[in-house]
Amino acid sequence: MAPLLAARGVSKSFFGNPVLRDVSIALQPGRVHALLGENGAGKSTLINLLSGALRPDGGTIEVDGRAVARMTPALARQAGIAVVQQELSLTASLSIAENIGLGAYPKRFGLVDYSALAARAKAACELVGLHEPLSTPVGQLPLGRRQMVEIAKALYRKPRVLILDEPTSSLSATETKILTDLLERLRSEGIAILYISHRLNEVMKLCHHVTVLKDGICTADRSLEGTDAAGLVRLMVGRDPGDLFPQWRPSPSPATAISVRDFSAGLMRDVDLDIRTGEVLGIGGLVGQGQEDLLLGLYGAIPARTASATVNGAPGLPGGVPRANALGLAYVPADRKREGLHLIHTITTNMMLPAFARLPALKLRSRRAERETARGLATQLGIKGDLARQAQALSGGNQQKVALAKWMPHDPLVLLLNDPTRGVDVETKREIYLMLRAFAAAGKAVVLLSSDTPELVHLCERVAVVREGRIAAMLERAALSEEAIVSAAMGAENRKVAA
Amino acid sequence: MSTVSSARPAGALYWPVQARRNIGVRSLFLVVLAFLIAYGFLFPGLFSASGFAKFTQSWFPLALVAMAQAILMLTGGISLAIGPTVSLGAVIAATTMAGPLGVTGGAAAVALTGLGIGAATGFIVVRLRLPAIVVTLAGSFIIGGAALLILPRPGGAIPEWLSDLLAGDTPTAFVLLVAIVLLWKLYLATPLGLSLYAAGENPVGAYRSGVPVDAARVAAYAISGLLSTGAGLFVAAQTGSGDPVIGAAFTLNSIAAAVLGGIGFLGGQGTMRGALAGSLLLSLMISVMFFLGFTPVAQYVAQGLIIIGAVAIPQFRKVQ
Repeated sequence: MAPLLAARGVSKSFFGNPVLRDVSIALQPGRVHALLGENGAGKSTLINLLSGALRPDGGTIEVDGRAVARMTPALARQAGIAVVQQELSLTASLSIAENIGLGAYPKRFGLVDYSALAARAKAACELVGLHEPLSTPVGQLPLGRRQMVEIAKALYRKPRVLILDEPTSSLSATETKILTDLLERLRSEGIAILYISHRLNEVMKLCHHVTVLKDGICTADRSLEGTDAAGLVRLMVGRDPGDLFPQWRPSPSPATAISVRDFSAGLMRDVDLDIRTGEVLGIGGLVGQGQEDLLLGLYGAIPARTASATVNGAPGLPGGVPRANALGLAYVPADRKREGLHLIHTITTNMMLPAFARLPALKLRSRRAERETARGLATQLGIKGDLARQAQALSGGNQQKVALAKWMPHDPLVLLLNDPTRGVDVETKREIYLMLRAFAAAGKAVVLLSSDTPELVHLCERVAVVREGRIAAMLERAALSEEAIVSAAMGAENRKVAA
Repeated sequence: MSTVSSARPAGALYWPVQARRNIGVRSLFLVVLAFLIAYGFLFPGLFSASGFAKFTQSWFPLALVAMAQAILMLTGGISLAIGPTVSLGAVIAATTMAGPLGVTGGAAAVALTGLGIGAATGFIVVRLRLPAIVVTLAGSFIIGGAALLILPRPGGAIPEWLSDLLAGDTPTAFVLLVAIVLLWKLYLATPLGLSLYAAGENPVGAYRSGVPVDAARVAAYAISGLLSTGAGLFVAAQTGSGDPVIGAAFTLNSIAAAVLGGIGFLGGQGTMRGALAGSLLLSLMISVMFFLGFTPVAQYVAQGLIIIGAVAIPQFRKVQ
């Protein structure tokens, strides 16, 4: 039987960076197909190609066995392809029914036919177990219920192919059960389902066939029968590190730099954590599980609560960025362009920015001293070229170095780094790794939040794996492996946790 | 399992949806009511036929420009050209209606100008992806300039019978306002009208759902232009002639009324009934302060404080 929807040898690059290479996938009617892969493996890109939101650089998209020359979202909708996106497409001020019908309202005399809409939306809602009145504005629903509205919206269009991108990440156990029963029923009605999830147990229970992506390459396309969770994890991880990472050495006599008990901030709940001097502590896990809130909470940039805390000898949390800086904390954000740098200002200005807070408010700036400090930092970090240029003239890697460099004159005791190597070229990565190890060797504490699993394995003394706002596992050096981190991140049950 | 929704016939959806939209503006309605009562005490003439007519006439143009601004703010846009567009509408009405085009031709010219200016602005903002605040700021100079070109100093004329009809002792303005509100309800019941909310609040999600986001936004600008020049025609009828700068105050007052009515700056937040209530409140505030003998300066200061308070109160509620 021809697959309802298929990609044949598709490739896609962004800015010369290949994201998918020669990937094929075929969605058969009456089958639940799992798509697995780590963060950044190319899953979302593949969905966007299948649903026409993006066009492939090479390869073809086929509907019912026929190649579609130019897939668009409109064509995909006509072909009965519905996507439940991770980020919701709902409008908070409209009612449940108005959201479900959005873009495909039944009409009578040119007006929205509210009776027909109510009947059809109600049918879709009953499928997913939504019993709230249809007139409820979506903004009043909790996140899990909104996700169910999103799924009902896809079902309202009576799809032949249903693509779900991590549909259960915000669902309760009951809602997840309703969804899995529903998918089983849709499958038996002959609908092709593509299911993306980071919960391996769910995938093992629900799906029949799996495609695994790793760094944009398809590493498996096979039946799930006779496969175990550990085998799937192995297919997702493993990359030859080459000589990218510096030699690992144990740190000298650690002392406690930061200690928190029952720490809560943002998504993070009830965290007990000790950060030691002389170590690189990794923070791992799938994107958006609360890792960033952990760093920002410690740094005092978002409100945080804790039962007890000491930060570099001082009791209590900093509670604000100036106090955190005074206590020797420095934070390098992930989004260089928005949070890390002031792109239209010069490199020198960017490097001097934290210093302004420390200078007496009414003292004149000494341009010469600033230039000299900046020149020293540039030499130290290998930033080449004219420092009077705008920061946006630099490459991503060099921008990251500037974002790091600006803290150096203040000799921070604790460096909080939020994904410092994302979008950075290999050479700069290596330089940054060397710097991090050098900091640790100099007796500072480095906290490295990273979405890159090999980085955590090769650089860190310990890795705290965060899952759903809690530290799911604290892996010691001896237990560190990509498999261990990914298993803990995905909540696979056969993980080994060292205390 | 018995459910809430199945207890009710599936057809009853439209009115519950409308009722839900009232929830956010209930307290505003109460404040407006309080001001209405205060106004009634200060000016008992409100309850006579001509008093009521005069009162709605003083509110009417502000109501129209508040709607014109609110519809744009719902799409995530804004206009700084409302005032000049009102002036242009007034000037065109005053120069055409007493001439060979007659009242019908003049009204058509006013309407087409409004639709055209709005659609052009919308096209520039939406298709060229330029910030609405800059485009409409530039537009305000161009439109204001055009009004001055047509009528360099106050003049022109509106046929007396039309002035009497619109701004005389009859409640025509009120009837017109009711008709405009009904037309708006009708527009909001079309797929394009309802898309306004989705296009304003979550344009990417709306686009992926198959909503014609660009068309919804351009249509909003066109309607906004029509309402603005319509307000201009009414102002010209009130004064009996055209004045090329008569609309100046409407730009900021339209924003003030929409904000008072709970329309958010981020798009998709708020309701038209809120914006109308906001314009009524603003209009009442101005009258009440006038009757209480506030000097114009004190009026402006009080007006500003009340607007800041109205915007800040929901924020305080959120923090708690």
